[in-house]
Amino acid sequence: MRLTYPHMGEAYIAVKSLMDDIGVESIIPAFTTNSTLRLGSSLSPEAVCLPYKIMLGNYINSINAGADTILITGSCGPCRFGYYGPLQKQALWEAGYKDTDIIILDPPREGYRKFLEALKKVAGKNSGRIIPSFINAYKVCCELDSMNELLYYTRPRAFKKDELRSIMHKFKSDVMAVKGSGQMLELIHDTKNRIRGIDIDKSFKPLKIGIIGEIYTIIEPFSNLHTEERLGDLGVEVHRSMTVRDWARNNVIFPATGRKGYKLEKKLSKPYLPALIGGHTQQCIGHAVHYAKTGYDGLVQIYPMTCMPEIVSRSILSQVEKDYNIPILYLIVDEQTGEAGFQTRLEAFVDYVNARQEARDTRH
Amino acid sequence: MERGDSVAVKVGIPRGMYFYKYYPFIQSFLTELGAEVVPSPETTKEILDKGVLYSIDDACLPVKVLHGHAYSLRDKADCILIPRLTSVSKGEYICPKFGGLPEMVKYSVPDLPPVIDTEINLIRSRNSLVQGLFKLAFALKFRNPAKINKSIDKAFITHRDFKAAVQGGNTPDCVIKGMSPGPYKAKARIGLIGHPYLLYDSFINMNLIKKLRDRGIEVITPDMIDPHIINELCQELSKRMFWSSGKSLIGSALFIMDNGSFNGMLALTAFGCGIDSLVGEYIEKQARRYYKKPYMVLTIDEHTGDASFNTRIEAFFDLLDWRNTNEAYISAHGRSIYSS
Repeated sequence: MRLTYPHMGEAYIAVKSLMDDIGVESIIPAFTTNSTLRLGSSLSPEAVCLPYKIMLGNYINSINAGADTILITGSCGPCRFGYYGPLQKQALWEAGYKDTDIIILDPPREGYRKFLEALKKVAGKNSGRIIPSFINAYKVCCELDSMNELLYYTRPRAFKKDELRSIMHKFKSDVMAVKGSGQMLELIHDTKNRIRGIDIDKSFKPLKIGIIGEIYTIIEPFSNLHTEERLGDLGVEVHRSMTVRDWARNNVIFPATGRKGYKLEKKLSKPYLPALIGGHTQQCIGHAVHYAKTGYDGLVQIYPMTCMPEIVSRSILSQVEKDYNIPILYLIVDEQTGEAGFQTRLEAFVDYVNARQEARDTRH
Repeated sequence: MERGDSVAVKVGIPRGMYFYKYYPFIQSFLTELGAEVVPSPETTKEILDKGVLYSIDDACLPVKVLHGHAYSLRDKADCILIPRLTSVSKGEYICPKFGGLPEMVKYSVPDLPPVIDTEINLIRSRNSLVQGLFKLAFALKFRNPAKINKSIDKAFITHRDFKAAVQGGNTPDCVIKGMSPGPYKAKARIGLIGHPYLLYDSFINMNLIKKLRDRGIEVITPDMIDPHIINELCQELSKRMFWSSGKSLIGSALFIMDNGSFNGMLALTAFGCGIDSLVGEYIEKQARRYYKKPYMVLTIDEHTGDASFNTRIEAFFDLLDWRNTNEAYISAHGRSIYSS
């Protein structure tokens, strides 16, 4: 069995070390590009959301590289993501990839037996290694998060931004050669040290912008046209509200140990949306309030076109915007999104936030 | 404080989303309690324009229409009832937008009377409906439990009668108005699938059902099909369908395509509908692979013009006619495109 999985930002690094530790042969799909998206959209329903199309493109790239089994997580929530699996399976079958198997890891409450069977299918006789490997992969996620935070800090302050870019480029290619979580942690550690070695302007006070929105489109840099990097290059310190580690902690570790996830987000979003309605609506609003309270200067909400939960959060965010007096830029992404228009909007937004900031500084 | 009989509270109910599914239920519940029910008028151009103005631009058409209806009720009612419908049947959700609907309206439409946003969530058990209705009555300041219980019973009876009338072949909008479909000569019979808020709002679907009936076509909608049949047909899905609206679409589509008495199937969908993007894809693939009935998808949004819509419907009529005239044709060479 040669396992593959779709890309979601840096998730592949953690999943790769998880699979290496368990002892399953896995194939990382080729990095998402425009051709991946075109390939995916050619087999997708027209009105479906962007992640579906990108993921389908990823699968086909991996199958062409030799994969025969696809692993994805599922859900039975009201969001469309829960029904991706069956339809993508059908689409692959119709496109001629008839031997490909899709393993969908539905949440255990949909049936423990089904869940355990799926896990067994993935790990085979090494099932005993799943839990220790998962803990190690979680450590990789934690390290990745701290590396990302270092990046967010360094990028706006760095004198030579291309130096940082080349470090990250090297990191991306080194990940492929590494095996297992031990080596992965070492690599991340080295990369962090190299980032720390870059010359930065310590007196520079950058604007702070939080990124909120739909989980896939904010984590996967291709789908949001590298918004983090673009904002960083414009001299903004960004922070991304959701990460893979955050997801794993709130959706796997907390429920498995009898705790409830997303406590802070639920508490902060309660005045605006008192009930769980699906997707990451509560989290999105909770993060927006959290950023506003912790002194961020602006927010960027990113979501795929026609995303049902995020349309609700967007309507509510306009109230958060008024209540906390924080500007929000809404960016909707789909396969038609052009780079130039995106860059212009980001630049205009940064200028606007800057001007607000200056006006506030002179008033005091 | 129990409300006096002299001043009945006026509860505005916007004519949008699940109005054509649950209006008789909620109307009889509230009337029995002693409230005055004020439904918003039927959709007009003005209501749609107001809805488009106040809602965010990438919401779907029915959500925009609901915003317009809420706006039209702002000085006609003491409060507006927009319940938070998270789930209307056990273990199944509806679209997430239903859950966030009260907030979407509250934060977008200005000068609204208080919005009553009681949560109706039947995901765990059906008993939550009664709890939800009690909360709703309390929110309207009706505190007499015996009276509330009696109203709930009355509402259930009304709902049962309403469902029976709809399953008898009358469309919900006519049942609510107390009209019968009127005599028409049925030459053909088609299935029309879609969400109730698109099918029965004759303004936004440009009188589709009337246009079909004028042509002598009998229309069967998902609400007219026995829910047991729908449930049974949905068992063949590889993964449990977790949207009740999606389930009713898939189930009725499979029923219509399987059943020889139907000549074709029309699907009505709103641009940007999340459920239809996946469910519609599934139905289309099934329709293409296993069945050879005429099938067409009509997508509408707030810009749809009457003329192009008519052209598409006429193309569908032609499809039905050709099938009728050429069905007996046996190809001398190769496979006939009409054979099923």
